[in-house]
Amino acid sequence: MIVSMKRMTLVAHKADETAILNALQGTGAVEVISGGQDSSAQAALERAQSRVHQFGDALKTIRPYAPKKSFFAAPAEAKAEELFLMLPDAVSLSEQLSVLNRELAATKSEIDKNETLIDALRPWEAFPADMQTYQVSKKVKYFTGIIATADVEKLENIESTAEYQLFNEGLMRTCVIACPLDDAKSVSNFLKSLDWTDYVFPKMPGTPAEAMEELFEKNRTLNAKKVELESALCDSATGREGMMESAFDAAVIERDRALASADLVRSSATFQLEGWVPSDKEELVKNAIHQITDAYYLDVREPEEDEVPPSFVENKPFVTPFEQVTNLYSRPDPNGIDATPYMAPFYILLFGLMLSDTGYGLVLSVLTALFIKFKKPGGMSGGFARVLFWGGVSTMVWGALVGTIFGMDFDTLLGTNNLFPLFVDPMENPIGMLILCFGLGVLHILFGVALKMKVAFSRGDWQSAIFDSFSWILIVVGLIVFAVPSAVQGVPAVISTVGLGMAGLGAVMILLFKGRASKNPIMRTLSGLGELYQVTGYLSDILSYARLFALGIATGVIASVFNQLCMMLMGSPNIVLRILGIIVASALLVALHGFNVAINTLGAFVHCARLQYVEFYGKFYEPGGRAFKPLSYQTRHYRVTDK
Amino acid sequence: MELQWGTIFAAAGAAMAAVMAGVGSALGVGLAGQASAGVVSEDPDRFGSCLLLQLLPGTQGIYGLLIAFVIASKAGLLTGAAALSATAGLNLFLAAIPIAFGGLLSAIAQGKVAVAGINLVAKKPEEQGKAMLMTVMVETYAVLALLISFLLVNGVKVG
Repeated sequence: MIVSMKRMTLVAHKADETAILNALQGTGAVEVISGGQDSSAQAALERAQSRVHQFGDALKTIRPYAPKKSFFAAPAEAKAEELFLMLPDAVSLSEQLSVLNRELAATKSEIDKNETLIDALRPWEAFPADMQTYQVSKKVKYFTGIIATADVEKLENIESTAEYQLFNEGLMRTCVIACPLDDAKSVSNFLKSLDWTDYVFPKMPGTPAEAMEELFEKNRTLNAKKVELESALCDSATGREGMMESAFDAAVIERDRALASADLVRSSATFQLEGWVPSDKEELVKNAIHQITDAYYLDVREPEEDEVPPSFVENKPFVTPFEQVTNLYSRPDPNGIDATPYMAPFYILLFGLMLSDTGYGLVLSVLTALFIKFKKPGGMSGGFARVLFWGGVSTMVWGALVGTIFGMDFDTLLGTNNLFPLFVDPMENPIGMLILCFGLGVLHILFGVALKMKVAFSRGDWQSAIFDSFSWILIVVGLIVFAVPSAVQGVPAVISTVGLGMAGLGAVMILLFKGRASKNPIMRTLSGLGELYQVTGYLSDILSYARLFALGIATGVIASVFNQLCMMLMGSPNIVLRILGIIVASALLVALHGFNVAINTLGAFVHCARLQYVEFYGKFYEPGGRAFKPLSYQTRHYRVTDK
Repeated sequence: MELQWGTIFAAAGAAMAAVMAGVGSALGVGLAGQASAGVVSEDPDRFGSCLLLQLLPGTQGIYGLLIAFVIASKAGLLTGAAALSATAGLNLFLAAIPIAFGGLLSAIAQGKVAVAGINLVAKKPEEQGKAMLMTVMVETYAVLALLISFLLVNGVKVG
């Protein structure tokens, strides 16, 4: 159900600001609206934000040294003030870690730089002279460079006054050419015709071999330093994860408060807070403020026309998880209706029909139940886990109705004689199964139309309820009733006439009244004709429910294919091969069925969601609400317990 | 030896269903996989969301396998049962067409949407549900093709 929102204005002393924001954060019931740009709070906000980043970086450093958490481990719990205890320690640790990290990065880059230099010098290892002083002669010009091996022979054609020497083997050869200064120009031109690249020695003293040795020596020291830094990092990081996580959460709490504080408006002695509060939490907020001070002014009123409240829903515990499914589509318009309570039963029903295997349902329910029990997930993952749990329960029931368990026939497993399927066997009677799917689809769609009627009635718009919605129920039901006598034997033909009458009545209502906004009878009829064309939309909506059947057989038949494959493995007449086969087949069965459960659960989840969004919500739902984001504890690692 | 046309047609149909739908899925999952790897290289935490999106174009291959298996078992190809009439065999071949072509093309198209969805998740992780829904919209047509192929195979009278 949508909870109506109220607009609140709070004015209090600046001295109480922190305490009041603190208390409001604890209630998690107030969304603060920006009242204007207050630069005085910006500095504090930036400090809080940079602290969140600082701790986040520290956590990234610490994480590789922390023991791996079990997948099912529940998040730790703590009171809000307990989280803050670790702050001073965390600040010094994170600074220490960041210094170590910086030094480590600098050392690593130095090592890399030296290695690059060594690689560049290696081809010159045989060069015998000092790299900086070999070309001091005033009368000789030296060309230092690298030449392609293919062009080495051409060096024979160089000026007769020039000498050259090569220093290595390989595809690219290092080479120094010396010639009298007078011939420098012609030698330079000659080199341009070859595959020649000039090379400049790095600014290091000694021969290349000596320089390389020096670099090696440097890297040995640097590597020792790197190992030392890494072990220092390991020492400071090990076992500090819990502490840093709690500090991170504390920093996030502080940051959120700073964000809210930046939205306040201040005078010299007071501050003013504008915000939204759900109507049922008004008392809670009043009490929270009252416990801090008596000196405040609080006004809570209904929103005005131009103020769009956030959309906030509250449902029974059973329905709450399904809000996540609706949220994936869009939150309800605050003035519309919350569709989740109506969608949840259909979601469970249709999900089960898509998987329809008792064994798979059992696996799904048990896994999600364990996940919920041990991990205690909240928010989105908690919601989806519960949705899947109920989907699994429904899958078990549908599995019995269509008679499959882990892709096997219930009868084969239990030894019963044709007791199963309890309802319909999709392999024996596919048309019956299709009719079942379409029937559920019609029910689902008409329920959506009926909800639209309900909304229209509740707004006092009976014309829209009758002419736009009820007329369609008449047409769809009428057309189905019309077809019944020809499809089912023993139904008198007069039923057919009744159905036709209903459909006709609905069509006439639409033709006459769809365009009731217009006075012109021609325009009204044209608008009605256009609306009647929607009948194709209803047809395709209903046919869309064929996916229920198709996904059902996709699960069931693939499961039985896997079973047959494994039976083949186990069927060898040779006793050794048979034992081997049984071992392999058992492992394979678990893996294959696990894969099948996973992929079909994903398929059932999304296809079921699609049926809700397109076929069901398309009929009545008004999306477009903005999420209610109250000032609260948005911690990532610890669950705050003092609410 | 005389050719068993019925069995040959049926085998061709089964092969076509598995091969074409499988090729489609391989291409689709491949496209999505490349995009996923790109996103994960920037942000390893996105791996889970990307993997789900990458998996979605993979179902067509499974549908093709399913139809191939149903045809094979109906025609007795797995057990080497009695000969199949040419009409029945040809019918089984024709029954494979919807999932073969529907699977091939829808898997490729779905792969492209999955790539776009993965890029969406990279920028806005909270919109993963929407990315998945867009991708699943394409799969509808593979599901419908599967359904028709299955009904056609189921309707063929053997022996």
